[in-house]
Amino acid sequence: MNQPMEQQPATEHSLLELRHICKYFGNVTALEDITTRVEAGKVTCVLGDNGAGKSTFIKILSGVHQPTSGEYTMYGTPVEFQSPRDARAAGIAAVFQDLALAPLMSVWRNFFLGVEPMRFGMLMRTGFMKKTAKEEMAKMGIDVRDIDQPVGTMSGGERQSVAIARAVYFGARVLILDEPTSALGVKQSGVVLKYTRAAAERGLGVIFITHNPNHAYPVGDRFLLLNRGHSLGDFAKEEISQTELTRLMAGGAELEQLEHEIGVR
Amino acid sequence: MTATAVPTTEVEEEVVPHSPVVHADERISHRGPMQRWLISPEIGALIGAVIVWIFFWGNARTFGQANSTLNWLDVAAPTGIMATAVALLMIGGEFDLSSGVITGGTAVVIGLMSRTFMGTGMNIGWAIGAAFLLAAAVGWFNGWMVNRTGLPSFIVTLGTFFAVRGMIVVMAQRLVGKVQVDSILKQRGAEGFKNWIAHEWQFKEFSGRDPLFLGLVIGGGAAFLYGLLDQSFIRRVGLNGKAALVTALGVVATVVGFTGLLKTDGVSNNLVYGIIGCAGLITVMVALGLTRWQARSDRGEATTGMPRSVATNVGLGAAGIVLACVTHIPFDRHQRLPVLTWTSDSLRPIIAVIAALAGIFLAVRAMLPALRGNWKAFGIVKLVLLSAYSGLLMMCGVLAFLQLTTVQGLRAIAMLVLAGGGVVLMLAARGQAGKTSRRAQLLIGTLASISIVVLAIVVRADSAAPRFRTGMFSAMILGAVIIMANTLLEYVMIKRREADPKADTFGRRLQVIGAGAAITGLIIRNVFTNLTPAHAAAVKAAGGTVGQNVLRETVVWWVLVAGIGAFVLAKSKYGNWIFAVGGNRDAARAIGVPAGNVKISLFVTVSLCGCLAGTLIALRYGTVQANQGIGLEFEYIIAAVVGGCLMTGGYGSVIGASLGAIIMAVSTNGVQSTGWNSDGRFIFLGGVLLLAVLVNNYTRKKAQEAR
Repeated sequence: MNQPMEQQPATEHSLLELRHICKYFGNVTALEDITTRVEAGKVTCVLGDNGAGKSTFIKILSGVHQPTSGEYTMYGTPVEFQSPRDARAAGIAAVFQDLALAPLMSVWRNFFLGVEPMRFGMLMRTGFMKKTAKEEMAKMGIDVRDIDQPVGTMSGGERQSVAIARAVYFGARVLILDEPTSALGVKQSGVVLKYTRAAAERGLGVIFITHNPNHAYPVGDRFLLLNRGHSLGDFAKEEISQTELTRLMAGGAELEQLEHEIGVR
Repeated sequence: MTATAVPTTEVEEEVVPHSPVVHADERISHRGPMQRWLISPEIGALIGAVIVWIFFWGNARTFGQANSTLNWLDVAAPTGIMATAVALLMIGGEFDLSSGVITGGTAVVIGLMSRTFMGTGMNIGWAIGAAFLLAAAVGWFNGWMVNRTGLPSFIVTLGTFFAVRGMIVVMAQRLVGKVQVDSILKQRGAEGFKNWIAHEWQFKEFSGRDPLFLGLVIGGGAAFLYGLLDQSFIRRVGLNGKAALVTALGVVATVVGFTGLLKTDGVSNNLVYGIIGCAGLITVMVALGLTRWQARSDRGEATTGMPRSVATNVGLGAAGIVLACVTHIPFDRHQRLPVLTWTSDSLRPIIAVIAALAGIFLAVRAMLPALRGNWKAFGIVKLVLLSAYSGLLMMCGVLAFLQLTTVQGLRAIAMLVLAGGGVVLMLAARGQAGKTSRRAQLLIGTLASISIVVLAIVVRADSAAPRFRTGMFSAMILGAVIIMANTLLEYVMIKRREADPKADTFGRRLQVIGAGAAITGLIIRNVFTNLTPAHAAAVKAAGGTVGQNVLRETVVWWVLVAGIGAFVLAKSKYGNWIFAVGGNRDAARAIGVPAGNVKISLFVTVSLCGCLAGTLIALRYGTVQANQGIGLEFEYIIAAVVGGCLMTGGYGSVIGASLGAIIMAVSTNGVQSTGWNSDGRFIFLGGVLLLAVLVNNYTRKKAQEAR
């Protein structure tokens, strides 16, 4: 898979569609009746507080878990992923917060890790690798001056974007970003949001997991709200305002009660 | 990964043309070539190796002769072979404590099998093959256990270590009745194999040495300079004719100066030619820069807003250098008495009291902040006891040091510390001043190079070791010339702050080639000296031995293994995986790197290299002790760590590990040639180890700083 894969054309079917997904671990209901979809070139945000089932949701998407019941389709074709490898082969790439890069390795080495382009079967094409890594990062809007610099020297946002750029280059059609902004400062979060948008503009379907509605609203086209394994709703952007989103996220009336108690305003 | 779960249809090329919003961070500055080189992982080991080598070269007459060089290369070779493999393993994030016992163990196995297999013994070739298979099995077992159990490799390989060690001794005692296997070389096929894989080449003096040295150093130096200029400065459009003319004049002056220096004798002539040569050299460097690269149009600015530390550093530096120049007045260079014996009776108690007071002062100063405003009886008692202890310790330490050090030695140390510290401070001040005022930078740079020249003259006039004296003098003068040229260049040229891929690549290549050539030349010059007959007679009269020039094939194997290791690490997919597995194992696995197999193969590599070293040992000496190699695993690990490998994995260098092996061999061999107590090498080794690791630590931090 040394060549970047091409993007899928728009069909009548969504890129990914999940209908009535349920997941039980023994007696525990992790997810119940979740329905949403991911379009190419659009960002679907999955919002929820701790324990809402976000992790289970992405694990189902990326093939770590299999849904107990429900339909998971890609371009209208039902898919069943037995492992993350299957999901990756289908073009679903998950970018986790830390589980992606070796901090002491240079940017280009990280970029091509595991899929090194070779010459004569034994020589890495270092020149090509450096050039491509630099170009791909530039496409994400990052000017890496020194492609030899260890990834650990980059800021958190830039590191995320190395992982994103890598996934995009190697033909991902669906990009799952697991809380990419949770450990970042305000400015860095802005940077990552920009790259998220950039990835979507390049034709990918993006699933953006977060618990911060202020991060989700500016980038998202569709919002799935989870609470204790249940869906609070699946909205297109025009169906919901940021205030409404925040309110639903925080548990609606509970937040008003809280504001009353601690005397905000 | 072409098989997808969805049908692929026609492709739309309409990927949104994303505007390349290049947001340059203004805090980031371009990292110059020198800086890049200085933050490579090998740098600590390189500095250590050079220091150790120069130290012994200056102190032992036989050191640096061809035979002694070949000797320590031979000592370093097995360690170097193993250090390469151990470094790879350490970069992959694991250790192997059984690596030492494998080297000895395989040697014993080869000996035993060739002597006693089926009662009559077998051809040694088969024995060697069997040893390699056994070693691979042990390595595979180590890797498999580490993978399977997830236990730290320390524990797993410690287990293997004990098991193998026990088996070797028991086997030896069962089969040959003692813990030593001898007469290996008398077995079938042994001589042939020795000729084949452990050959010895003897050779005489190498007559083309000096022309080769000059050619390599001059050519290499020029290439290096050109590459450095291309990487540091902005290219100009077209050549600068006037500057080219000046460069040519400079070359003429350099040639005239240095040929004159070689041809004439006498102080005043030498001085004149020396100055002509050095001035020519500086002119060449600066004018070459002006020929091809852009000069500044403005000429410096007012010296305002300079940090205060600049003045402090310059002052301290100058003071250090002045003090270094006068150290020869109180201390006699021929005085070999211990310092304490040499001092007068009345001075000794004073020294002791001052040392004790210093110790007390340090302890009190360290503890006072915590106690202030919180005076409790316990705290006071603690303060009193600890400061008394510290004072006592300091006093004993100082007295012991003065008792063990000769006047001569103290003088050398004082001079080295003062002069070195002074120059370093000056150069630091130069760098700081350069941030605000180029004029001040020029001034301080000039001052620094002049002080180095002065120091060089003092060293030449004053040192007791003749070889050290001349070598050091030339090196220091050359250093002063380079610093002066660099200062001038930075004054007249515009530094490039943007990356320029073409110039960067070209410059880097030239630098690598140039540095390689110059270093090769230096090595050839210094390694292949043969004793003159008169000198050899003197060495023999003093009880020394004049050895043969013997190059052993072990060294060739070492170069081969280190070369393959370095190549694999830098250029192959597998090297990339090693870094990834050591740096972030989960990430590597998540992305599809077969982490388990990489680790197993690394353990097998270590064992196979151990077997190679063992074979060479067996064929070299013909006699192997059953406990051979035990404890060496730490030497390998130390060599790798000195060479810049991170104990936690994911970072390091194979070449550095080989340099680490050289440091060890040179200090062993050097201490022998100086005729000191051979256990003294451990003091030396400890110091160099700490120094190298400190340098590595510092460079790694620098490398990881945001840029």
